Amino acid sequence: MWRIRLFDNLVQAATWLAGALLLLTIVAVFYYLFAESQYAFQRKFPFGFRVALQPPDSEYREEISMDPTASLLATHQEGTDELDDAEDATRLPAHDELMQMQSLVTATAQTDDPAQLRTDALFRDCMRAPKRAEQGERLLLLAFALPNYTGDRMVLAWEPDVSFDPAYCPYELRLRLLRASKGVSIDPIEIDLRRQPKGRLELPIWKARSQDEWLQGYLFELEARPTTTTPWATLQQFLKADWAPTILYPRFGMLPLMLATLLITLLAVGLATPLGLAAAVYLSEQASPRIREWFKPILEVLAAIPTVVLGYFGVMLIAPALQQVFGEALQLSSGRGLLATALMMTVFILPTIISLSEDALRAVPNSLREGAEALGLTLAERVRLVLLPAAKSGLIAAGLLAIARVMGETMIVWILSGGTPTMPDFGSPTAALGTLVKPTRGIPDTIAIEMGNVEFESSHYGHLFLLGLTLFVLTLGINLLGFAYRKRAQVSL
Amino acid sequence: MAAWEALAARRDTLRARKNALLTGAFGAVGLATVLLVFALVAIIAVNGAPTISWEFLTQPPREGMSAGGVGPMIFGSILLMLGAFVMATPLGVFGGVCLAEYGERSRLMRLMHASVAALAGTPPIVYGLFGLAIFVLKFHFGVSLLAGWCTLTLFCVPAIVLTTEAALKTVPAALIDGGLALGLSRWQTLWRIALPYALPGILTGVILSLGRAVGEATPVLFTASVYYSTAETKLGWETLRQPVANLPYYLAEGYRQPGVVPERFIWGACLTLIMLTLLLNAGAILIRSRMRRRYLW
Repeated sequence: MWRIRLFDNLVQAATWLAGALLLLTIVAVFYYLFAESQYAFQRKFPFGFRVALQPPDSEYREEISMDPTASLLATHQEGTDELDDAEDATRLPAHDELMQMQSLVTATAQTDDPAQLRTDALFRDCMRAPKRAEQGERLLLLAFALPNYTGDRMVLAWEPDVSFDPAYCPYELRLRLLRASKGVSIDPIEIDLRRQPKGRLELPIWKARSQDEWLQGYLFELEARPTTTTPWATLQQFLKADWAPTILYPRFGMLPLMLATLLITLLAVGLATPLGLAAAVYLSEQASPRIREWFKPILEVLAAIPTVVLGYFGVMLIAPALQQVFGEALQLSSGRGLLATALMMTVFILPTIISLSEDALRAVPNSLREGAEALGLTLAERVRLVLLPAAKSGLIAAGLLAIARVMGETMIVWILSGGTPTMPDFGSPTAALGTLVKPTRGIPDTIAIEMGNVEFESSHYGHLFLLGLTLFVLTLGINLLGFAYRKRAQVSL
Repeated sequence: MAAWEALAARRDTLRARKNALLTGAFGAVGLATVLLVFALVAIIAVNGAPTISWEFLTQPPREGMSAGGVGPMIFGSILLMLGAFVMATPLGVFGGVCLAEYGERSRLMRLMHASVAALAGTPPIVYGLFGLAIFVLKFHFGVSLLAGWCTLTLFCVPAIVLTTEAALKTVPAALIDGGLALGLSRWQTLWRIALPYALPGILTGVILSLGRAVGEATPVLFTASVYYSTAETKLGWETLRQPVANLPYYLAEGYRQPGVVPERFIWGACLTLIMLTLLLNAGAILIRSRMRRRYLW
């Protein structure tokens, strides 16, 4: 007896456990997508700013900042090493210490060649290793002169990297003098880099003691403080029409991706629904049981073809055909694009639509069929007047499920979309045609492509999760609606 | 009277013609679908068949992936699938039992039913992201076989739950009542009567969802995949923590980096992948027809 009871309890426990795990799964999926998309709101963009200390007679040139022969300004990141604020206030770090700092990637040995020093040598930039400015982060820039420099004035020059756009910069950037070495009297310096992105400032010279113990000099601070930190601002940006996840000043407007996904879904489901419905009607109303028995496994074969293979198929067959037709008129380099994707999606979703619609149609009670037939209605009329209205809920559920599946299907879009985010344009017939056949990019393939080479916990990473969350919430809504319709179909029949 | 009859007759001819047209169209679409399937399979078979050889199926890629075979990818795909099978089957079956037993009884169960249905339709890429966030990063599995198994399991389970539930619902009440009348406990009835009866349906569901999982690159894209794998795969505990090569990812990357993998290799891999999924499907059909017979009375 106890064995039976034990067994009962075990089975019951397993059942409950599985149920709890399932409930947990959906909560966890939502929670983790949400949690990871927080990184989108933290605006951890790296920024590139070149700050150089150089002899007054040398012009600031872009190339010099790329020349690693000597270093004058060194950087270190707040909190990443043993130098804390208190220490910064009391002394400048020694050469060895600086060299050991992890963030000092590009620091190179100083040169002994005075000729080189006189021209371009006295600089250090933070462009070579763009520093990541996080909320309220400070970069410390250490300036020092080499012992063999003979002038008595120096110039602090600064310049943003090429893509800098003050309007788009998410930070308030300030360059300020923290400390000068002993014996140098100097007024406080504070420069707003957003107002004055480029400039020069003369400073009295300072000397370093020797090659080994370099350091007397200036300690500058480059402070980056986020200006727009509200989630609302990030979301507003997220809804804009510009997706360019560059390293510096990236733009994450997902509108083109969203519209492409919606258009592909619309086209594919719009094409597949009438076809699938027709095949389903044929199967459930016209075909003999024998044919039906053959048809089902064939449909399962179609459903079993992996989407990667379908995508590859589209590249080999559909895209070249489209290119042949429209290639010359629109200067296409390949036929990959919205239409090719939508066509292959149609093939992908067709078996799902057929088998779900057939289930819905076959759930209609025979009494309705027979009644309609007794009234003398032809098959087409029976379908239109009796079967479709009776199976409406089930058919809507099938359509919704198809929409959700096409929306989230990744490999076909990845392979066939062409990979360029473009805003759909239906302004003129030519533009509309171009929208259809030119490369585009949807949400799922963007996640798949870009997650491969994104830095974890960066803003880009967060935005990819935000895209995933958007997709999840959308499909969740559609799926729940479909579930409700399926329930209704079961209740009403 | 005559005019009315003539009108009616004309209308009936029109109706009949419309009917013939529409029914013909329905049949044509059905036929076209079948032809499409045959065409797809035939094209892949014709293009892929010349590549298939014993070497292609067993050898690792050589000479920068331009020669050799796809042995490790096939092995990795099967490995991923087997792990997911082992983990997803009990979870899915017991989840289905939970739904079927407690069904519509409480609000919680209705919520669970809805959420399973929603999970079944959730895009694979979302599972991939979730697997990356939780298994790879949070649990520190890294990009590994283990993380791939867990992600694929989550991907497979909802479908298995739904088919199990549907299969359990087809068990005749007479069988259950008979079991209970014989003095079996509720769970014994479930274990000895309902589950065996529903087994073909459940197995079909499990195999079909595994077939879907083996062909789907997206859930394992960030969680378990590695493109280039020349090393002989040795099985051991370390395998769990290492990424695996697999066929869908091989195809996706092989397409993405044109010129690296020769075209005939891609066709060959396509054919291999399709054969793998079709084998699973054939197994499902076989099981379905074999096991049904035992319970006919």
